[in-house]
Amino acid sequence: AKMLHGKRQPYRAVDLARFMYDNSLSAKEALQKWRGEDEEEIEEDIEKEEDDTFFRRVGKEGDDDASEDRYIPKFDYEALARKWSTKDAIEALRTKFSTANLVDE
Amino acid sequence: MAEQKPEFLRFTGHRHFAQRLVLSTLSGRPVHISKIRSTSATHPGLAPHEISLLRLIEAVTNGSAIDVSYSGTTVVYQPGLITGTVAGAGASVGDIVEHSLPANCNRGVTYFLMPLALLAPFSKAHVNVRFSGPGVITAATHVTGDVSVDTFRTAVLPLYALFGIPPTRIELRVLARSCAGPGGRGGGGVVELRFASQVRLPKTLHVNRRPGRIRRIRGVAYCTGVSASHNNRMIHAARAVLNALVSDIHVAAQYDPSPLVATDKNAPGKKRKLGIGFGLSLVAESSAQGVLYAADEVAPPEGGVVPEDVGARCAYQLLELISQGGCVTSTASSTVLTLMAMGSEDVGRLRLGRNVVGRDETIALARDLKTFGASSWGVRDIDDDDTGDVIVSVKGTGVGNVGRKVA
Repeated sequence: AKMLHGKRQPYRAVDLARFMYDNSLSAKEALQKWRGEDEEEIEEDIEKEEDDTFFRRVGKEGDDDASEDRYIPKFDYEALARKWSTKDAIEALRTKFSTANLVDE
Repeated sequence: MAEQKPEFLRFTGHRHFAQRLVLSTLSGRPVHISKIRSTSATHPGLAPHEISLLRLIEAVTNGSAIDVSYSGTTVVYQPGLITGTVAGAGASVGDIVEHSLPANCNRGVTYFLMPLALLAPFSKAHVNVRFSGPGVITAATHVTGDVSVDTFRTAVLPLYALFGIPPTRIELRVLARSCAGPGGRGGGGVVELRFASQVRLPKTLHVNRRPGRIRRIRGVAYCTGVSASHNNRMIHAARAVLNALVSDIHVAAQYDPSPLVATDKNAPGKKRKLGIGFGLSLVAESSAQGVLYAADEVAPPEGGVVPEDVGARCAYQLLELISQGGCVTSTASSTVLTLMAMGSEDVGRLRLGRNVVGRDETIALARDLKTFGASSWGVRDIDDDDTGDVIVSVKGTGVGNVGRKVA
């Protein structure tokens, strides 16, 4: 039980509403928190940043600078091709199509 | 304005630039954006496409004041009235505003069409703009991730119907096609947007039911300046992936010669071919009204990709987007959410996939809207099925069209 309660359940809409308008978090951090992606890791990162010198921080900002507004999200096409060439994935998606067998549902 | 000195809303960074300009114009609140690429050693300040967007907004409004700092890293924008195309003011040829994009522009023309289409319903007169010049890329762009005009026309413009803006009154003419030129810069296309449908208030949107089932897939394969057989090869590869799921697939093939663009102003006879390439745009239509999923893929400007790969990647991208669920994909979600926020003072609901909401663009839009005075979104889970979708409820601000006519 402790294991269950120790870690917050990710992807809860209530949390998102809270993180979304918390301006102390950047949009990326808010999402990471929402997804429940290892919070410990993020904290570690912050510590590291404090230890490190000025230069690394510039590099990090540069990373953010390089990203532009996109309408097409970025995909790793090799991973996508692997994912969608398996039969299970296609069958799992079939419920979203009109060719699905409605009798079984 | 009621106050003598309006208060500037302050933003930093170059991200979400177009979105902030649109919100500023719609809400009539001036903005001050600083630190635009101020850390970049090579290209500080505004990029060519951003300057161009500012000019475009200036052309369809009256009384806007734009002040760019010397280094280009700070912009002060005071919005004016959205007048649209008025003869004598901006409209040079007939009833149309001609907007020329510079040759070093690396964004697709949809980067300009999306904000323009958001402003157009609230305009005083019709908005007719023709994009021309050596920077118009009608295809999707590989580096900057803009969608193609085909996706814009078939997957974004129909969504305006949900807001009581009939798509029959919106016309997008692609007069000349072009892919991105060498280095991803420049094209030579000509695109005309005629937005003849102005509304007082967008209707409140309720798209919170099931997204339905995908009934059919439509699409456009385009190639400019390369062999027309590329179209069939792309379509064939995409069908190979999708045929297992849908039988009703129709993809139109569009072949054009590549546009000739003058390279040198002093020698008008000297022209070169620009914007050679090919790409595919696929749209999956659902049985529910207004639910569209669109995918876009294009060959990179440096080449080295076979059409089969482009076709298959586009199909895979479409499957991935469908599996993300929700009623609106990430491409169109900012348009829909902005129009919802500008609607009448009622709560509209929109069902979105978890990964569509969970993008930093969506979060940034929510924050920006709040900064501009719209109310916060309500977010809740869907309980009646296990898709993990989220319902976002947006309360309109009721600004409509009248608020902006007071200059």
